[in-house]
Amino acid sequence: MISRFERVSNYVIVIALTVGVLFPVGWFVLTSLSPNTSGALDFSNIAWSNFTAAWRDGNLAHSMYASLVITVSAVIGQTILAILSGYAFGILGVVGERYLFPIILLGMMVSTEVIVIPLYYEFQRIGLTNSWLGLVIIQLGMGVPFGTYWMRATFRALPRSVMDSAAVDGASVWSTLWRILVPMARPAVLTLVLLSFMWTWNDFFLSLIFLGDPEKQTATVALGAFQGRHVLQVNLMAAGSLIVSLPVVALYLFFQREFISGVMAGAVKE
Amino acid sequence: MSVLAIGRTKPRTRTVSRQARKRRWIGLLYLSPALLLYGAIVLVPLLQTVNYSFYKWDGVSEPSWVGLQNYLEFGRDPRMYAAFGHVLVLILMFGLIPLGLGLISAALLSRAKIRGEGIYRWFLFLPQVLTSVVVAIIWKRIYAPDGPLNGLLRGVGLGHLTRNWLGDFTWALPSLGMIGVWGGFGFTMVLFLAGILAIPDELYEAARLDGSTRWQEFRLITLPSLRGQMAIALTLTITGALRTFDLVYITTQGGPGTATTTPALLLYQLAFVNPDVGRASATGVVLAVLCLGIAVGITRIMENKDR
Repeated sequence: MISRFERVSNYVIVIALTVGVLFPVGWFVLTSLSPNTSGALDFSNIAWSNFTAAWRDGNLAHSMYASLVITVSAVIGQTILAILSGYAFGILGVVGERYLFPIILLGMMVSTEVIVIPLYYEFQRIGLTNSWLGLVIIQLGMGVPFGTYWMRATFRALPRSVMDSAAVDGASVWSTLWRILVPMARPAVLTLVLLSFMWTWNDFFLSLIFLGDPEKQTATVALGAFQGRHVLQVNLMAAGSLIVSLPVVALYLFFQREFISGVMAGAVKE
Repeated sequence: MSVLAIGRTKPRTRTVSRQARKRRWIGLLYLSPALLLYGAIVLVPLLQTVNYSFYKWDGVSEPSWVGLQNYLEFGRDPRMYAAFGHVLVLILMFGLIPLGLGLISAALLSRAKIRGEGIYRWFLFLPQVLTSVVVAIIWKRIYAPDGPLNGLLRGVGLGHLTRNWLGDFTWALPSLGMIGVWGGFGFTMVLFLAGILAIPDELYEAARLDGSTRWQEFRLITLPSLRGQMAIALTLTITGALRTFDLVYITTQGGPGTATTTPALLLYQLAFVNPDVGRASATGVVLAVLCLGIAVGITRIMENKDR
C-alpha cells in the first residue's frame, strides 16, 4: 500500500522527468513556427510557411524521396531475408548450424565503422558508390544478423503442433512458411519492419559516406548540409528537422509498444 | 513434399533421419541469400579491414606493406590519445550518469501505479527514436551563443555564466556528454521500470513486514533483480559512446581545435577526407576489439555476480 504522499511525489517525479526530456524537443517545435529567423518565439504570428520554405530550400523533396526509396527497399528486403533465414534456423535446421549461427550472431557485435572502409573502396571500384542500389545492398547485408536472430526466436516460439498439422495436410516447405507460419508470426514481423524502417531512415553515417553526390543524398544528409548553410535561419532549420523526423515519429505514435519492445529486445541480443 | 513430418514409429527411424538430413539441406538453401549477402557485406570486409591495417595506402596509388607500423604509430599519435580520452568522458556521461539517474528514478517510482503511464513512456523514449542528426541540430541550437540555454541563464541572473558552449575548449565535451545523458536517461528508466515490474510483489511485501527501510528494499531486492537490465544499458550506452560520430560531425566537427574528436570521427577523416587508409583501418580494428571486449566483459561481470 502506498501513502498519499508517495503517490503525489511519484507524479511529481514522473512529470518533472518527462518535462526535462521533452523541453528541448518542444522548444524546437515552437521554434519551427516562429516568423523570426533568430527563432524568437512569437505566438501571434505563427509561420506555417517555414515548412514549405524549408522543404524548398533544403532540397527536401528530392532527398526525402531518396530516403523513402532506400528505406522501403531495405525494409522489404531485410524482412524477406529474415523470414527465410529465421525459418531455416528456427524450423528446418541447417547443415553446419553449429558454426553458421554463431558466425551470423557475431555480426550484431560488428560495428559499421569496422567494415565501411573496404566496402567503400570495393564499391567504388565496381561503381556502386553514389548509387541507391549500393546503399540498399549494404543495409540488407547489415540487417541479416538481427533479422535472423529475431525471426528464428519467433518461429521457435510457435507451437510445434502447427507444424505437425501442416505436415499432415501435406503442405510443402514453401507454403508452410508463407501460409501458416508467417501469418502466425505477424506481430513479430511488424516489429521487425518498424525497427528496420527506423534504423534505415535514421542512418546518417552510411549515407554520408556512400552517397556523396548531392543529387543522390538521403534526407538526413541533406538536413545536415542544410543546417550548415542556414545557421542564421533557425526557424527554417527547425522546420526542416521536423519534416525529416516525421515519418519515424508518426510510426512511433501508432506503434509505441512495438518500438519499445523491439529496441529492448534488440538490445538484449544474445 | 511433406518434409515436416516427425516419425514416431521405430521402423521409420532410418527414413526419417534421412528426411531430416534432407530438410537441413533445404534449410541451407533458405538461408543462402541472407548468408551470401552477410558474407559479402560484413564478413569479407571485416577481414579486409584487418588486412588493410597492415598497409600504407592513400586510397589511389599502389598500397605498400608496412606490417605493424600503423598500430605502432597509432600508439604514438597524440590525436588518438585525445580521441580515446574524450571517449572516456563520453562513456561516463552517456553510460554511467543515465544508469545512476535511471536507477534512482526507478527506485523512487518502484511499485507505483501511475496513470497515463503510456504517455510519459512515449516521451521518455522519444530520443531513442529521433534521427540522430535532428537530436544534434536541436542541441546545437540550445547551446548556441544566442540560444535558449544562455537565455535561461541570463533570465535567472546568471549572465556571467553564459558562453558559446560548443565553441569553448573546456565546456564543449561535457556539453556533448549532456546530450547523451538526455538521450540515454529515458531509455534506462523505461528499461529499469519494466524490470522492476517483473519482480514478484511478495518480495516487497515480505520486506515491509520485516520492517525494512526503502533503502534496504532497494539494495536487497531491486538492485540485484535489475542486473540483467543494467548490463544491457551499460553495454549499449558505452559502445554507443565509443562509436560517437553523427553528434560530433553535426555539432563541432571535433572542434574547437581537437577538443571533441572521437575515434569514429578520426576514422572517417583518415578513411575518406585525407585518406591514410591503413591508419583508418587500424583505428577500426582497435575500436571493434574494444567494443567486443566491453560487451563481453560487462556480460561476464553481471553473470558472475548472479552466482
